This record gives sequence, C-alpha cells and structure tokens, in this order.
Amino acid sequence: MSQKSEVDPRRVGLLEAMRGQGKEWEVLAPCYGVTNPNPPWKTSLAAMCDCLDVSGALPTLDRRRAEDELAEAVYGDVPAPESQLLTLVHTMLNRGLVSERELASRMRTVRSRLEAV
Amino acid sequence: MNKAQKYSTDGAEHNHKAAPMVEEITDFEVLEIAVRELAIEHGLFTAEDHRRFTEFAESVGPAGGSRLVAKIWTDPAFKARAMEDPVKACLEIGIDWSKPTGFGTPSDYTHLTILEDTPTLHHVVCCTLCSCYPRPLLGMSPEWYRTTNYRRRLVRWPRQILAEFGLILPPEVEVRVEDSNQKCRFIVLPVRPSGTENWTEEQLAEIVTRDCMIGVALPQPGRTADVHPVHKARRPVHSSHHEEAAR
Repeated sequence: MSQKSEVDPRRVGLLEAMRGQGKEWEVLAPCYGVTNPNPPWKTSLAAMCDCLDVSGALPTLDRRRAEDELAEAVYGDVPAPESQLLTLVHTMLNRGLVSERELASRMRTVRSRLEAV
Repeated sequence: MNKAQKYSTDGAEHNHKAAPMVEEITDFEVLEIAVRELAIEHGLFTAEDHRRFTEFAESVGPAGGSRLVAKIWTDPAFKARAMEDPVKACLEIGIDWSKPTGFGTPSDYTHLTILEDTPTLHHVVCCTLCSCYPRPLLGMSPEWYRTTNYRRRLVRWPRQILAEFGLILPPEVEVRVEDSNQKCRFIVLPVRPSGTENWTEEQLAEIVTRDCMIGVALPQPGRTADVHPVHKARRPVHSSHHEEAAR
C-alpha cells in the first residue's frame, strides 16, 4: 500500500453528478423490499475487472491501488459496490481507456435503450 | 394479477408471487453497461471473455471451501493429500483452480496453503496489498475484507480486530496473520468443534462458514451463517484510538 499509483484525484464531472442522489443499492434496495445485498450489476463489474486484468489493459494490482487512493481521496462517502464502480471508471478515464465525452454519450444511449417500451 | 403473471408461456397456471425487485434504472447500472460496451468496442476485452468471467463469478461461493474442510475433518487420507497438494485435492471435491481460462485468472491461479488451527494456534487471513482471496474456494470476497481498514489494522492489532467480529481468543492461543498476495492464497482449517463427533460431512459443512475459513469466526454447532453487525473493521477507527487505549 506504500506505492502510489498514477491516479489523478481530480474529480470527474460525469461521476460527481451521480453522487448524493440516494440511488446507491444499500439505500434503494430496502425501499423496494429487496434483500439481495448486491445490485444485479455487481457480478458483471467483477467480471469486467477480471477481463481488464487478463488483457493487461488494467492489471489488478494497479486497479486496486488506484481504488484505495481514490476511495480515500474522492469517494470515501460512497458505499460499495458503487465506490468500486466509480473508482474503476475514474481509473479508466485517467488511463485514457475511455473518454468522459464518449462515456456520457453512451450512457444516454444505454438509458434510452433500457427505458424503451 | 395480470395475464402474464398468471400464466407461463406453456399455459400452465402460475400463481406464485414474484420476488420484489428494484423498479428503477439507476445511473450506476447505466454506467456499468456503458463502460463495458465501450471497453469491448475499444478491444480491451471481448464479450465472450466477459461472459466467461461472469459465469465464473456466479459459480463460485464459500460452499466449496466448506466441503473441503468437512472432508478433511472426516477423512484422514484426504487430509494428508490436501495438506500435501491442496490444489490437486480440490479437484476431488469438484473445485478446479484452472477455471475459467485453463490457467485460472491471473489473480487466482496461485500457490494455495491450508492453515491448520490447533487448540493453541489460530490463523486469520488478509491481503495487505489489495484483496487477494481464494475465490475458487470461497467465492467473491466480502466488502469488509477489501477495506484498507481491515487490511491495515489486522496485521497490527489482530486480537482487537477479531474481537470486533465477536471472536475473543484467550491469551494462551497464539494468533498468526497470513498475508495473501498474487501468488499465495490461504484458507483456514479450523479445529473441529466438540459436539460434532457423529456428524456427516454435509452436517459439518453447514457450520463451516466463510468467516471461519478466513479466520474471523470459529465453527460451532448451530452457527450456520455469517451474520454480524457493522463493525469497526469496516468503519475506520483512527490509530490514535489504539494508542490511547494502550496507555
């Protein structure tokens, strides 16, 4: 834990906008009477972390080091697994694996797809 | 009850009540999908890779570790094989450390050691560096195991941390903390509790919970689940607290 990652702790606008809305699973699940401790996307997130490790795009040790630093510096008030997701995306943005602009655009596309009736 | 709820696709009556679900789409759910799709489009990994690792994550859990411990308790010959070559012995109970890729995952395929407790020696496991964990045997690590608070404090004040989990060990019991890393994984083999002498493997496996195999709990008849309140190992306590307590 003594080594520092290359993570940039400056806040990311896209991710900041998601905080403090009371939409974390530990808040939301009881509102609907759901007892599963984890949101449905948790397993997919874990698989994504493994995939990034296997491909070498983001090795586990680098990811976890960045996660530790960001959890303390930026996302300390966000519960798991949302904090894990935010720190992963923050790290991927820092590394240029995705851009904030394309991510924002894709989020709009995904939401409209999920909300289609 | 609407028509879709009452009848399944083959027309059979279907009266059970659906389990509750979160009926809104959160930005977190959307973000996970969006970043995954972009990662696949950018060639960071394939959709097939993701499907395979998702299936792996869904398939592992602490039941494998429970079976391993129960079999060791009841089968001396298996115990000898397991202590000699744990990964090979795991195959006998259907746990294959080479999954899902044929060589495990980079963070999983490792040297596994079974830490045998005795009445005067207790082991507990952590990963100070990140969150290395024997996933093929125990599944995905609990959130508290990943926290820097647990990892930092366990190696310094193991008895205090164990007490926060409700495990208070007498002074004559030595406590050893084993620190996992990318190549070394550990599972604790607890002492078989008294009162279980005539139990079957299946009965024994029920009391060998995840926390027992990490070393933050002890198996006992009647205890079949890891239920504990939010403890300090999850919520940080500043180190000055310990310094003051030591004065």
